[in-house]
Amino acid sequence: MMAIRELKVCLLGDTGVGKSSIVCRFVQDHFDHNISPTIGASFMTKTVPCGNELHKFLIWDTAGQERFHSLAPMYYRGSAAAVIVYDITKQDSFHTLKKWVKELKEHGPENIVMAIAGNKCDLSDIREVPMKDAKEYAESIGAIVVETSAKNAINVEELFQAISRQIPPLETYENGDSGTIKLGKQTAQTTRKCC
Amino acid sequence: MLLEDTRLEKEEFSTAFPEKMSTSTMESQTLDERGSFFKLIDTIASEIGELKQEMVHTDLALDDGRTSLPSLEKDMGDVCPDQKDFTNIIRDSGYDSLPNKLSILDKLLHTHPIWLQLGLNDAEAVEILRSQPPGTFLVRKSTRMQKKVLSLRLPNDFGFCLKEFAIKESIYTFSLEGSGISFADLFRLIAFYCISRDVLPFTLKLPHAIATATTESELEEAAQLGLNFWSSPANNKLQKSSPLQKPLPSDSIYKGSQQLCLINGVHSIRTRTPSELECSQTNGALCFINPLFLKVHSQDVGGNLKRPGPKAQDVNGPERSRSPPPRPPPPSIHSLLAHPQLSRTTNQTSLPETVSHSKHWNLDVIQKRPTPIPPPRLKKKALSLEAESNEKNSAVNKPSHNLVDGTEAASIPGGAPPQQNLESTNSLAAHCESQVQWNGGRQRLSNMSLSTSSSDSLDFDRSMPLFAYDGDTNSSLEEFEGESDQESMAPPLKPKKKRNGSFVLPKIVKSQLRKMSGVFSSFMTPEKRMVKKIAEMSQDKRTYFGCLVQDYISFLQENKECHVSSTDMLQTIRQFMTQVKSYLSQSSELDPPIESLIPEDQIDVVLEKAMHKCILKPLKDHVEMMLKEFHTADGSWKQLKENLQLVRQRNPQELGVFVPTPDFVDVEKIKVKFIAMQKMYSPEKKVMLLLRVCKLIYTVMENNSGRMYGADDFLPVLTYVVAQCDMLELDAEIEYMMELLDPSLLHGEGGYYLTSAYGALSLIKNFQEEQAARLLCSEARNTLRQWHKRRTTNRTIPSVDDFQNYLRVAFQEINSGCTGKTLLVRPYITTEDVCQLCAEKFKVDNPDSYSLFLFIDDTWQQLTEDTYPQKIKAELHSRPQPQVFHFVYKRINSDPYGAIFQNDNSDQNT
Repeated sequence: MMAIRELKVCLLGDTGVGKSSIVCRFVQDHFDHNISPTIGASFMTKTVPCGNELHKFLIWDTAGQERFHSLAPMYYRGSAAAVIVYDITKQDSFHTLKKWVKELKEHGPENIVMAIAGNKCDLSDIREVPMKDAKEYAESIGAIVVETSAKNAINVEELFQAISRQIPPLETYENGDSGTIKLGKQTAQTTRKCC
Repeated sequence: MLLEDTRLEKEEFSTAFPEKMSTSTMESQTLDERGSFFKLIDTIASEIGELKQEMVHTDLALDDGRTSLPSLEKDMGDVCPDQKDFTNIIRDSGYDSLPNKLSILDKLLHTHPIWLQLGLNDAEAVEILRSQPPGTFLVRKSTRMQKKVLSLRLPNDFGFCLKEFAIKESIYTFSLEGSGISFADLFRLIAFYCISRDVLPFTLKLPHAIATATTESELEEAAQLGLNFWSSPANNKLQKSSPLQKPLPSDSIYKGSQQLCLINGVHSIRTRTPSELECSQTNGALCFINPLFLKVHSQDVGGNLKRPGPKAQDVNGPERSRSPPPRPPPPSIHSLLAHPQLSRTTNQTSLPETVSHSKHWNLDVIQKRPTPIPPPRLKKKALSLEAESNEKNSAVNKPSHNLVDGTEAASIPGGAPPQQNLESTNSLAAHCESQVQWNGGRQRLSNMSLSTSSSDSLDFDRSMPLFAYDGDTNSSLEEFEGESDQESMAPPLKPKKKRNGSFVLPKIVKSQLRKMSGVFSSFMTPEKRMVKKIAEMSQDKRTYFGCLVQDYISFLQENKECHVSSTDMLQTIRQFMTQVKSYLSQSSELDPPIESLIPEDQIDVVLEKAMHKCILKPLKDHVEMMLKEFHTADGSWKQLKENLQLVRQRNPQELGVFVPTPDFVDVEKIKVKFIAMQKMYSPEKKVMLLLRVCKLIYTVMENNSGRMYGADDFLPVLTYVVAQCDMLELDAEIEYMMELLDPSLLHGEGGYYLTSAYGALSLIKNFQEEQAARLLCSEARNTLRQWHKRRTTNRTIPSVDDFQNYLRVAFQEINSGCTGKTLLVRPYITTEDVCQLCAEKFKVDNPDSYSLFLFIDDTWQQLTEDTYPQKIKAELHSRPQPQVFHFVYKRINSDPYGAIFQNDNSDQNT
């Protein structure tokens, strides 16, 4: 039987880079060509096993449009992880990504796990952002980096698995009386025991 | 009977609709000379008609209240004789000594992370229970049965180690299948079965560690283990170390219950009367029905585990029992930048006030652990914080809102003048202060409700609003019959009492109820408590949810330029509500889980109400202001204003009105309703008022002429009325409703009359420009189309919820052929219940020889009693190849008229 652990994750990034498509691929394993821009934010969940725990991702997929920018803090503030998405065919979206990282560093939770996703890697013919740039940048900020394609289902699962692995294991400590492991509920990632 | 009459009237009224429409549309084609404005009317009317086809089915046969009435009455009859004995016993319960003792319900509430395991599968349940003593139980959701089950460990000599008892969820209650006793929530149900076995082979046993715990912190400690509790030494060690107290497998004990089972059969054990229950299980029952216990619990369900104390009745003193998912308490980004220390300050100030509660809440201290996340949630009473947030919202929390709230709480959407509301608010306050006084009444209520086969008073409270308070705008206009024609001065509770007139209650209790019902039904039902709890959580920035809501509200208020149009703004708000609802239902932030307190098919309804309260209520003024700004800016209000003026000067015929129009008094009446509508923040309630207005217009039309009218006659009259009311704000009201109403409710009459009202307003807006009318009418048509598409896109995949809770059932009788009726059938209503409904509706004398059949692919399938017709319908609708199918209520033996039915296309499923 495994503990279920809730992990709040939010997706950030420029408009049109494919945040919702990544979530949709991850949660429903589905891709829609004619997806409309997200309004505000949308919420989905998916539970995946990780070691001897189950991680339930509570995903806030935020709107990329500039006008919704100031809504983002309410979603990333309580998050255990942030996926910052850029479009490998758009240099601009990589700049926006850097701005998001900066904002997260300044206003985000202290230990937030950051993952950089270079989406639309199926379009590498018209690539504008070299893989190397992204890797170096990610290294400099200590973030996970991966190129994904929501359309072709490349690296989407892996992205979330990598996040799972980066989440520090639950703090466990000995209970003097019974010697059992206690699971706190006072962590950013709420823990609930289940299956 | 009033109820009956109005229903009849309603049926006639709505069935008259479709024919009317088609004939008058045809008629209109011959009247080309009417001019373009009339064409506009026709176009919009037919457009609405088309939408109606997609959205609405009006000939509702009955409402919820009637469905549940017979069973309630039956239950009541069963147990009433025992009521007197019972009362005496309760008086002896000696609850004075109990404040220091934890009741079973307390224990269950504290330890639900252990036994309430909705995600557990069959194998895992076996795995856990196998090593536990008999009587040990889990509650989980069986994927096989698609419902919650009570998994009970049986003694080894039963042959198999566990048995599952399905938990039946009605609209308002939880019960074990096969039992006549139902409960307001799962906790009460389990508590009851810890004391009385009823349909079980023996009573449930709490794990020893829980049963012997004497403090809340012990329980909390156990609860922290969650599922691991079962395998933990805390559970096992104690059991082994104290064999004397060990509740279980000494064979001798179990022979008794086994024999019982063998005699009666596990399922067929007779349900005991409350008096028997009382005698055989003194200790437990004492505890169970103890009023103090109930009081504690009534708060607990709202999340408050506070012991009853001097302040226990604090209406605003909610709180979550268990540590919530913590999170930083951030203000919105703007205030964060402005006051970087705000969050910390907040926590500091709230601390001292929490100290006095630390005795009860020492679990918080225990749970406090080093994390990057700011301090653990301190229990409530952070008055400073509240004050702060109130201050913040003071702009939007004007007294008028309280009035509105009062009105809504009393379940009479509008109509009641402010004084009334004030009165009821005052009485609430008085009621809280004089807790001791009304405790007596409450106690009696609890006796009563036990005798109505309910666990306690709250159950009964809950049954009270069955008729008047449903909060379902899918239901038809008839819901309002009792109220709609009353003077708006009528006291809020009058209609409700009238509806309950048919309810068979012991006299004493009845009079008690009359006094109390208003107070109770306004805030004591589990739904209300849940809504209240969520609303309180939304004010609490120490919760993730609270942060989301509060940040969003300030975001909207501070970022006026963020939205490009009124529609865009309203859509964003709707989206936020929808997403937050799904967050609440899928995360574990609500604790205990909402599934344990609210029957499943009601969860969304309850969450929607909560969203209105915690998001729309504080935003209402802002939204109104923004709508005004948008429409002033784009000139549409100026145009509307001018045209309203113009239209009011014309005579009714020029507007296409060829029927008697409402007179001045009626228009005033309608205007009062519109004004009441403006005060509501809930789109659902606004729509209800709109429906009342429409109903009133129909009534006036019919009374003045003695004949029925259809949509083509109605729209011009509505237009006339809207013009006479001369309320510019109606435009914003309609927009507010159209965009913010829960999409699932758009399928009902609400959606239909909303489009009518929209049509009426666009007629007025375009009145002047006869030449442009052609163009504009296509514009209005497009807008409606787009709106309908947009608001229903996320619901393209059919699911049970999509089918309006209505089921079209054909009734086939050898002599009279086939008649069809649309019944209100909720998704979780079984075929058995539908059959009962049909028997009633089609007036069948011998229901036993009839059954519900599914006619599909030229074959008849008799549906078994435990199937869910709505689910079958949803399944059929979601097949890639649409098939024609019918639900038919007919004689069980073969029917020679089957062939005729096949050709009868009048019974298309909706």
